[in-house]
Amino acid sequence: MEKMSRVSTALGGGGGAVSGRTMFCHLDAPANAISVCRDASQVVVAGRNIFKIYALEDEQFVEKLNLRVGRKPSLNFSCADVMWHQMEENLLATAATNGAVVTWNLGKPSRNKQDQLFTEHKRTVNKVCFHPSEVYMLLSGSQDGFMKCFDLRKKESVSTFSGQSESVRDVQFSMKEYFTFAASFENGNVQLWDIRRPDRYERMFTAHNGPVFCCDWHPDDRGWLATGGRDKMVKVWDMSTTRAKEIHCVQTIASVARVKWRPERKWHLATCSMMVDHNIYVWDVRRPFIPFATFEEHKDVTTGIAWRHQHDPHFLLSGSKDSTLYQHMFKDASRPVDKANPEGLCFGLFGDLAFAAKESLISSDANRKPYPGGDRRYPIFFFKKPDLTEQFAHVSSALSVFETGLESGRMDWFSQTARLYLLSGKPFAELCDHNAKVAKELNRPQVSTTWTMVRIMFSDPANPNLSAKLGTLPLMNSFSMKDMGACPDMGACPDMGACPADRGKEGRSDAAHLEPGTSHISNNDDNEETEGSDGQAEYMFGDAELDDDDLYSVEHDNPAEDQEYTLPQEAFPLRHEILDNPSAPEPLQQDKAESPHVSGGEAEATCLTPIESCSLISASQPLYTAHLPAGFFCPVVRDMLRYYAEQGDVQMAVSVLIVLGERIRKEIDDLTQEHWYTSYIDLLQRFELWNVSNEVIKLSTCGAITCLNQTSTTLHVNCSNCKRPMSNRGWVCDRCHQCASVCAVCHHVVKGLFVWCQGCSHGGHLEHMMHWLKSSPHCPAGCGHLCEYT
Amino acid sequence: MVSVINTVDTSHEDMIHDAQMDYYGTRLATCSSDRTVKIFDVRNGGQILVADLRGHEGPVWQVAWAHPMYGNILASCSYDRKVIVWKEENGSWDKMYEYTGHESSVNSVCWGPYDFGLILACGSSDGAISLLTFTGEQQWDVKKISNAHTIGCNAVSWAPAVVPGSLVDQPSGQKPNYVKRFVSGGCDNLVKLWNTIASCSQDGRVFIWTCEDPTGNTWTPKLLHKFVDVVWHVSWSITGNILAVSGGDNKVTLWKESMDGQWACISDVSKGQGAVSSITDTQQSEQ
Repeated sequence: MEKMSRVSTALGGGGGAVSGRTMFCHLDAPANAISVCRDASQVVVAGRNIFKIYALEDEQFVEKLNLRVGRKPSLNFSCADVMWHQMEENLLATAATNGAVVTWNLGKPSRNKQDQLFTEHKRTVNKVCFHPSEVYMLLSGSQDGFMKCFDLRKKESVSTFSGQSESVRDVQFSMKEYFTFAASFENGNVQLWDIRRPDRYERMFTAHNGPVFCCDWHPDDRGWLATGGRDKMVKVWDMSTTRAKEIHCVQTIASVARVKWRPERKWHLATCSMMVDHNIYVWDVRRPFIPFATFEEHKDVTTGIAWRHQHDPHFLLSGSKDSTLYQHMFKDASRPVDKANPEGLCFGLFGDLAFAAKESLISSDANRKPYPGGDRRYPIFFFKKPDLTEQFAHVSSALSVFETGLESGRMDWFSQTARLYLLSGKPFAELCDHNAKVAKELNRPQVSTTWTMVRIMFSDPANPNLSAKLGTLPLMNSFSMKDMGACPDMGACPDMGACPADRGKEGRSDAAHLEPGTSHISNNDDNEETEGSDGQAEYMFGDAELDDDDLYSVEHDNPAEDQEYTLPQEAFPLRHEILDNPSAPEPLQQDKAESPHVSGGEAEATCLTPIESCSLISASQPLYTAHLPAGFFCPVVRDMLRYYAEQGDVQMAVSVLIVLGERIRKEIDDLTQEHWYTSYIDLLQRFELWNVSNEVIKLSTCGAITCLNQTSTTLHVNCSNCKRPMSNRGWVCDRCHQCASVCAVCHHVVKGLFVWCQGCSHGGHLEHMMHWLKSSPHCPAGCGHLCEYT
Repeated sequence: MVSVINTVDTSHEDMIHDAQMDYYGTRLATCSSDRTVKIFDVRNGGQILVADLRGHEGPVWQVAWAHPMYGNILASCSYDRKVIVWKEENGSWDKMYEYTGHESSVNSVCWGPYDFGLILACGSSDGAISLLTFTGEQQWDVKKISNAHTIGCNAVSWAPAVVPGSLVDQPSGQKPNYVKRFVSGGCDNLVKLWNTIASCSQDGRVFIWTCEDPTGNTWTPKLLHKFVDVVWHVSWSITGNILAVSGGDNKVTLWKESMDGQWACISDVSKGQGAVSSITDTQQSEQ
């Protein structure tokens, strides 16, 4: 009693009695077990060739006593286990590998401290255990299948408990029941015994698959028993009920050799492994997947673990096969959870965003949903004792998929555009117009404008057909030019979706007139046309058109109407007007030459019209690009393509590249082209746009790309009659001299699509087979096979 | 600006550490501390659990999809020191290969560009990086770079094989930018298109690294933003022009480069507004 009070006063200082740091010392030999004396000041290390007591000082371990004495120590010194008595500080017990149970009295004056020797076990004693409150009671468990209870005042055991020839791995007195102890066995069973009844166990249950190496009663006498086995699991059993109930299960990565509840922490226990894994883990049993903390200092298997003080959760001692003894400070432990990434984030193909995060992060207490199985994160206990450790408890994550509201974020336009673009098969100008229309319909005015511009720049003026069209959208040109010039410093284009508010002033004004740009253009077109020609009747919106200013306000207010203002381009043959403006090329050329600065053109535009952005009048002039050589624009177009590619719109770069073909190809180095192509093809394939991808491959002029189509094009065919491989001689099989691809329905040789059953290899014309199989499930060849067309 | 399409009930029993969409954006793989990897079909706005892959004995940190030309292959790495390559065959997922050559937690896996074949880089806390190359017939060739990082490797990621005719034999494994200040690490990087790397770290900074030098020797970092909290993940959009950043402050922000080369935040998402209370922050250390 006196000792106990001493300890509790020592702890009165808030655990200040135990101090120290993470430290270690080298032992002479591998340790098998360690045990700490009651006041946490000394530790005993026992092993096959070691039996020493170390004092735990603040900075280091100090060897106090070597209990292994004599020139040739007997096998009694070869310890499998050791236990320091928790009440009598001079009393130690060891379990020897030769079957002896030895007690040691440190108070003995002689060098040999051996006190009692019990040699009743036949084989290795795996475990010794003092009774927690009965001073003279010692329990042992042995490989020979017996447990023995010793009274240290007597020379022999007082009782023997038979485990029915199953080896006993661990014995532990209960903290709660005075007479009860638990024993774990190699066959996976755990037995509860009453110390007064050696004839029969009180209770037995199977705890593990394979040996149960260890067990430990919860120190807060709750009736909880933790067991660890070779099946890599630690299980926590509630023994207070009539049937042992498994309440927690922790799966570790190696067999569990020792398990020890952490003092003062209801849910924590420490484990170490018997092989493979050298680390010590501290688990929160409520979170069985990830260790709460790990100690990774040992270089070989950890054999013994002990909490330094039974009321201090911060110090853990461990001995190991690597011949070291460690004191671990809990604050130096590594926390796997801290390294764990609590969030996952991934952009989907279509611009959607999957985001998984710890639930505690993303939902506030108020709107947190209880998840199935009840809210285990906040045990009632938690509120009483807001301890940070408890927060380790249960964590789950929520996974959400977000959709971006940003135009640029969504990728719908990509697949739409890819599908609708025409890259070949029509005259150049028509392709451009078509693509411009596609882009416009998808609400990508800049891209649309670019297409129109490209068309204008590269159209052959000699072709009357084209120049007729050229007139239809004259204003595009000037707009595009400005736009082009501004491109490199313009950054986010409107369709790229940057918020206008974020943009610089210049950018905003640019974008502002860019966006409605396409639509004014066509409108003004109309205006001019109506002035210059007779077509009032064709002019749909004549009533609404007043002057430029009004037009602007209307359009700014109703961007949605943009579409309606666009009139069919073919309707306005404006060629005569084009020729009416001989002065036009000047500003344009200036513009081009000084690009990317907009200075000249813009200056002129502003002086021509009151409103800054509506350089409409001047803009109608640049139609005279016609007599500039097409090659003149190449550098600009090249820069434009680069710009698009940089912006992530490699689609535009490749499409323009293909449509322009020879006109631009030489301007861009092959590697860049190839890079664009491969990127675009890769994108198309990700969107499963195989046809488009194939078309792009076909139309590309890069050798490296076109050859993509020529890989894995070999088809191996077997003759449908003799089932042998066909030689490359065509339709007739060498061996059976029959036509291999005869339609089973019409008996003609199939040219073109040949469909056949993979089961019976009969087949024929696609439509014949489809028709046949609609009416009959049997093979048309009469082979009896039930063919299936899906 | 950003709206939730749906929340996926993953039925994971513990924290999710990574979520990855496959090449076609139709499947989502998640991995969790509960030792499982789950695969969801996320077509048409709904999600169906396709597979529940069990095989790891510790928390699974990261998953990575291989290029679909090799079939449906997923790699996962775990605290249990294992890397498992899973393959779907006839609708069922099975272990294709299990690599146990690391001595500590494997923190990151990443498939190389498909041009190099089926090659997987794994970075582990033991400081080594392994390169697993599929040589056909269920054979994998293992190359281990020991001590790539003295105190552990947190992330691996590949540079795209952009330059045709680059040395296929020496794939340029993009070395993770390990920040030594964080002994127990926590940085994460991803490399996507256009020779630009985004990296994030627990000090709350996100860098955009660009390389003007064709040999790839000099990388210029540019600070995207200094967040107040740790940053866990960055992800590029498919076209490489939007960067999503998720941080410890419960926010996902989208970033885009503006015309003058500055990165601007264009949107932010935070699901439960003001959700982070000090109580729920488990990142605190115990003592």
